[in-house]
Formats: sequence, C-alpha cells, structure tokens
Amino acid sequence: MRPRFVVGKVVGAFSTLVFVVVVNFFLFRVVNDDPVESLFRGRNLSIAQKDRLREQFNLDGSRLEQFIAYVRELVRGNLGLSLLSKRPVTTEIREALWPTILLVGVATTMAMVIGVVVGIHAGWRRRSTFDLTSTTVSMFTYSVPDFWLGMLFLGLFSVNLGIFPTGGLEDAGSTATGLAKLLDQAHHMALPAIVLAIAYVGEYVIVMRSSLLDTVSEDYLQLARAKGLRDADVRRKHAVPNALLPVVSLSALNFGFVLSGSIAVESIFSWPGLGQATLEAIRGPDFPVLQGLFLLFSAALILANLVVDLVYGLLDPRVQAQ
Amino acid sequence: MARRGVVAGLMVGPLAALAVGFGGLAAISAGAGLASAGSDAPITLTVGVIQDLDSPNVTAGYLVSSYELWNLQYATLTDKAAADFAVTPGLAESWEVSDGGLTYTYKLRDGLTWSDGKPLTAADVAFTINTSRDQAWLNHSATTANLEATVIDDRTVKITSSVPDPKLPVMDVYILPEHVWGGFTVDEISTYAALDGVGSGPFTLTEWKSGQSWTMKANPSFWRGAPAIDQVIFRVFTNPDAMVAALKKGEIDAANDIPSSAFEGLKAAADVEAVFGTQGGFTELAMNGMAGGLGDGHPALLDLNVRHAIARAIDKGALFDRVILGLGKPGIALSVSPDPAWQPDIPVAEQYTYDPVEANRLLDEGGYLDTNGDGVREMPDGSQELVFRYAERSESENSAAIRELITGWLDAVGIGSTVDVYDDTQLTDVIGSGEYDLFVWGWTPFVDPDPMLSYFTCAQVTTSMDAVGYNDANWCDARYDELYTAQNQELDRAKRIGIVQDMLRLFYDESTYVVLFEDANLQAYRTDRFEGWTRQPAATGPVLFTNSSPTYVNLKPIGAGGGDDGGGLGTGALVAIIAGGVIILGVGGSLAMRSRSSRDDRE
Repeated sequence: MRPRFVVGKVVGAFSTLVFVVVVNFFLFRVVNDDPVESLFRGRNLSIAQKDRLREQFNLDGSRLEQFIAYVRELVRGNLGLSLLSKRPVTTEIREALWPTILLVGVATTMAMVIGVVVGIHAGWRRRSTFDLTSTTVSMFTYSVPDFWLGMLFLGLFSVNLGIFPTGGLEDAGSTATGLAKLLDQAHHMALPAIVLAIAYVGEYVIVMRSSLLDTVSEDYLQLARAKGLRDADVRRKHAVPNALLPVVSLSALNFGFVLSGSIAVESIFSWPGLGQATLEAIRGPDFPVLQGLFLLFSAALILANLVVDLVYGLLDPRVQAQ
Repeated sequence: MARRGVVAGLMVGPLAALAVGFGGLAAISAGAGLASAGSDAPITLTVGVIQDLDSPNVTAGYLVSSYELWNLQYATLTDKAAADFAVTPGLAESWEVSDGGLTYTYKLRDGLTWSDGKPLTAADVAFTINTSRDQAWLNHSATTANLEATVIDDRTVKITSSVPDPKLPVMDVYILPEHVWGGFTVDEISTYAALDGVGSGPFTLTEWKSGQSWTMKANPSFWRGAPAIDQVIFRVFTNPDAMVAALKKGEIDAANDIPSSAFEGLKAAADVEAVFGTQGGFTELAMNGMAGGLGDGHPALLDLNVRHAIARAIDKGALFDRVILGLGKPGIALSVSPDPAWQPDIPVAEQYTYDPVEANRLLDEGGYLDTNGDGVREMPDGSQELVFRYAERSESENSAAIRELITGWLDAVGIGSTVDVYDDTQLTDVIGSGEYDLFVWGWTPFVDPDPMLSYFTCAQVTTSMDAVGYNDANWCDARYDELYTAQNQELDRAKRIGIVQDMLRLFYDESTYVVLFEDANLQAYRTDRFEGWTRQPAATGPVLFTNSSPTYVNLKPIGAGGGDDGGGLGTGALVAIIAGGVIILGVGGSLAMRSRSSRDDRE
C-alpha cells in the first residue's frame, strides 16, 4: 500500500476527531453551561456552596478557559467528573462499556452470520419460495422499530411465558462467579440480543442478496460453469467472494456503531450499557459524561471508517489510485 | 455428495449452533437458578426502582435514591415517629435542654458500635456536626451551620446553637464514623467513593453495581437489634413497565415510582397492594413578582387582582382528576412539610376557587378590557395586551396536559399566552434572569418547614445572575419576612405552627404561587412475602422512600417467604425452552434438507 495513501487517511481521521472534540465541547454549552442551579433546586444550598460546586466541575471560568482546561485534561486521559456521581467520567464509561460490547457485539455477529447465509441462499436462487419469503421477512424486520419489538418480546417471553427475566445484566445482587455468572448473564442477554439481531439481520440479507445478484450475470461465472464446475463450487469460490465486499464495509461500519449501543433496547431491558448511560446523562443533564460518551462514539466510528478505507485499499488497488 | 453435505452444514451450521447455544445456555441457567434457591438462602427484600444512586457519599449525593441508602445506613441522634414525625430517641436515649433552649445535652445508648465493630462514641457525633459545618457538606450544613458540638464523655455530647433554633432537639443528621471519614480535606471528601459500608443503621451497603443494583445487608449492631430480613436489594429498571411486570411476576417484592398509567391495573393484581402517598411535594403555577429588578415580567402581574383572576380562572379539580388521575391531593396553600400539622385550614369561602365569572369581573373592574375586539384584554392604559409568556419543563410528563388546560382557561377569561418549553437548566436560567411571566414547576419540602419558608424571603430574590437565589417567583413582602424571622426563633412548637400558618395564609392571599396539586409517590408491594409495611406519615404517606424509612426495620417475612429475586424458572418454562429449541432445530434441519434437495435437482 502506498504510504501517501495511508498517511492521508490517518491525517483525515485525526482531523475529524479534533473537529469532533471542539464541536462536542461547545455544542453542550450553546444552550446553557451551568446546570448547578437546576441540579440543586430545593436543596437549600448557600451561594458559597453552589460556587464551590461550579469550581469543582470546572464551570467557573470563561468558556475559552473551560475549553483549554478540557483539552489539557483530555490529553492526559481525564474526561472530568460526572456532575451526578462526582466519579471520573472514565470510570462511568468503563463500567458501561463491557455490557454494551457484549450485547451489541453478540447481536451484530448473529445478525451478520445469519444475514449473510440467508442472503446467499436467497440471491443464488432468485424468485424461489425461499427468496421471496426471506426477502419479505427481511424487509419486515428491517422496518420494525426495535423498541416495539423489544416491548413485544418482553411481554411475551418474560411476562406471559416467564422464560426470561424482565431485564438487567444478571440477577440483582447476584454473587455468582465463573460458569454460573456466565449462564446467568446469557439468560439475561438472550432476549435483548435476539431483538437486536432481528432488527439488524434484514439489512445484511438485503445487501448480501443484491450484491450476489449483481455478480450472478458476470461472464466469469459463465466461464466457471463452462469449465464444468459444480454449482456449489461456482457460488462458493467465484460468486460469494466477489459479492462479499459491500458486506465487509457494512459490517465494519456497523461495528463502529456497536459502542453507541442501542439506547432503545438497552432502556427496555434495563441493560446497564452505554445506551443507558447516555440516557441517564441526558436526563441529568450530565454534560461531562455526555461529552465523554459522544467522543467515544465518534472515535469508534472514525476508527471503523479508517479501517474500512485501509482494507478497501488493500483489497482493491484501484481505490488507492483514486 | 459428501462434500456438498459439508458445505450445506457450513451454511446452516451457524444458525443451528446459535439457536441451540442460546437455548442451551438459557436452559442450563434456568436449572442453575432452580438449584440456587435453596432453603439457606438469605431472606431478601428486592425493591424495584427507576432511579439509580447518584453517589453513596453523603456529602456529595443528592438524589432521592441516595437518601434511602443513607436512611438505612446511618442512624441519627434522634429518630422520627412513623406516624407523625414526632421526635423519638435514636442513637441518643435521652436529652436535656439548658441555656434557654440554646444547648442540648444528648446521652448516647450504652454499647453502641459501628457495623465494623468499632465503638460509636460522642466523638463521632462531634466530628460529624463540627466538620460538616466547617466543610459545608451538602446534606448536613443546613442543619449544622449554627451548631457547635462538644464531647463531654464517650456517651455524652453537648450541642450548642448560636441562635435560638426551633428544629432542636431534632438532630436528624446522618452520623458518620470518624475512623472512616476523618482526615479528608474539603475537596477529598466530596469525591470519596463511600463504598466502605460502615454504618450504624439497620442495613449497610455491601455492593453497588452502577446502573444495575445496590445491595444492603442487615447490621446486627443496629441499636434496635438486627432486622428480620437479611438483605435488601434495590434493583434498577430503566423501563418502568418492566418493573411493574417484575412485581406481578414476583421477581421483586416492592416497587417505587409506578407509572400512573399502570397504577389502577396494579390494584387489581393478585397479591399486590398499590399505595399512593403524599409527602408534601407539589406543582405550582408561579407568577413573576419582579422584586429583584431583573428581567421584563408583565406589569399586569404586579396587580393583586390580576393574580386573583388567574387563580380564579384555574379549575384545580379538573387538574386533579385529569392530570394526576386523582392520585395525590388538590392544592390549596403552599405545602412546606410532609407533616400536615403545618398547613393552615383555609375555609372554602376564603379560597380562590374556580370561578371564571369572578375572574372576568376582577379584570373588568381593574380596567383590563378588550377594546380592539381581538379576544384578548389590554392593560388599562392600552399600552400592552394581556398576553403572558408561559414557561414549562420538558422534563415533566404532566407539563403538556397542564398547559393545555391552563392556557385554555386563561383564554376563556380574555388572557392570552405564548408557550415556551425548556429543560430544567434553561428554565432555571430564564427564571433567575426574570424573563418570564408564568411558569409551572414544583418543590418537595423537608420535614421542618423552615427551608421551604426561607425560599420566599426577600433575601432569596435574585438581584444578580452571579448569585441566584431560591425565590423563583421574585416575590418579596416585608410582612412575610418578619413572620419568617419570628418562626425561625420560636421554640414553642404550637406558637411556631401558628406563625407558619399565618405566613402561609399571607402567601396564599398574595397568589404569587397557585398551588395546582400535591403529587403522590406511587408504590406497590407484594402482600405474600413480607408484612409490616409502614406508611410515613400514617394513612397518607408512602411506604418506601419516606423521610426516615421505617418500613425496612418493621418488615417480617410471611412464613418461609421472601428472597426469590427472579433467577429461577418454573418447570413450564423449562419445557417451553426445550420445545423452542426442538422447533428451531427442526426448522434448521428442514432448511438444510431443502437446500440439499434443490441443489440435487439442479445439478
């Protein structure tokens, strides 16, 4: 790969990140930058106490001073203190990170594997019953709102059938470790993961199917058949590898979105991940936590984009030439 | 053929593996759940909440959920009766007053210890009072600002107030262990994680999983003896409807903050008791009194008759029935305490009840007439239309309903309005700077009426945005201030109640606030697990998240009940899981077969 191409992409990604840091900071301060009064309404605090809180939250200087202090601390890896818990924002985010990676990661993987397999079968046998059924179902699940599906599943499987718990990462107050803990978490994760997977799967089916359809009429497939290759080999060795490219980029970008989680599904299933943390921070409002979360989400997406760009350059040299 | 079989397996394999994997995990974990529900499991009360702790640190947190934690973890010198908030002995078994009511000498119970076994002495009490005053702790300093505590001996502490303080002998500040909390600077103490779990109350914190739950275990060293239940788990739900479902299912034993839409349905549920309890919290329509000299409030609001006309235009009965669905109390005078003893009795004849005819008469008489025929009245000098800026909170679920009703009623008496919706931070700013005419918000008072009363003194009016006060109606009246000072130093409770009621009548007549209704805490608990649920105050208060949380100590398990918090599944569920797994496998298998046969056809 050409060094100039790589450097160009990395610099581009970094500049986007810097832009995000600046916008992120000022965006939350456009409306109002002093939540101390509203947070402590009716708490009978003296004016001196409120001033001390402002100082503690780095809200006492001018906007520019606050920004410089923010960037200085950011470089040191310090995202400030949560206005609600007064714990470091990095701690708040770290605690919510793993549940989200677990849930959305599992759901995305399930959706991707199932979507690709179904998409290949549908595209290879166009207009078959399987194709018609899977395309219709995919369009349906793709357009169904995940929060609605979540409520439906919760009502059916958790409340009526009683198979799954009503939410959470594990049994409240659980002290289980090892395998018992893993099983407990799987039991809690099943419903939200299935809902998310259903919500995501349609996209993969449709993209995989249409991409495969594009390659079906290519000459090289005719040639492969003319050589006497079996149908399955034509599909597996010649059609699918070429049709996978759009799915690769879709997957990479979707994994960039993994961190931002699913606010709706996490909230319905009381899943203590980043989506729930975002919701709580908006309710606060807890600006430092919101800033930290937005920065993380942006950084994840920028990184995913960068990876896609570089991988594309590697897979298809024409991209580098452009 | 063998090769094609492998390919087909590769295609269908992931589907089947995932399905079986999930089914299997769920089934095994269900089995694990059943196995773990043994007879020696601790007696556990599980409470569903929708608000997580903000901080377990009593010098930093401020959410209601954290107060429930501290109520359980930290005993106080004096306690409050569940029925009526009357002062009762707590860590102190007795007290004596001297020095004309300025000094109280408290005698601690014999043999008090912290939950970690260290002795609890007068030094801990003095440390808490003096340090909270010096370091201005958030949740202590309003009580301890004028106090000085001196250790007489291990069991005796003398507390002196620099001014006559009618709150004494009530000492409801959370006493902290000096051996844990001593030695912090003012900055260190507010960021201390406070997960030590050392306390003197009935339960102490053992674990907090942020966003999920917090667990408190019974404290055998509690001065009233160990509670009858072994642990309390507060489980956080972000979906209130799921919390209600969990209560019905029996995953949890009680729930706070039930959505009003689900409340009626819960009343009919088996083994569930739904209660609504008021604690003095209310929602008001405030009018800009402009006493701070900031902003640009509408001049008509300075006219008492206009304020009365607005009050007369509002149908509080309709708000009570249609907005809060009858779950609470209709609003009359300002509510300053969960204890109804402080409320004045205002006869109906003297109330500004709903009467649009009277509202129209007051406005007509004042010269506010609609001279240009546009349906909206003008100022008597014709300079300005009677159109008010109405501000509301985006955070409140009732805002829209209240606004629709109130602006409609105002319109009916010839008063126009323009509506602005703000989040709490913005609205606080708008109010502080006086750039509003009307707004709807609410307060929740402390047990002692002093803080709530203080918010409407002239000293709390905002005159500069550098020092925003609590007086959000920008209303100032010398008569009120005089009465405030009098009640603030009146040590005779009966006399003080008289003064406070005079203040509230004055405030009611001035109508700078129209109290729309008193909100209720909507709660529910299962009746088949525990008994002893205690309302505070009696008959009208809630059972959980009350001022001093007496329920937890009074609860006793019914029979062998209590403790199953939802891990275990029934046999029916297991059968359903296995059946589901078989169906998924069947579907996957037939897919594979179909796939193979169609390929054979084509080749």
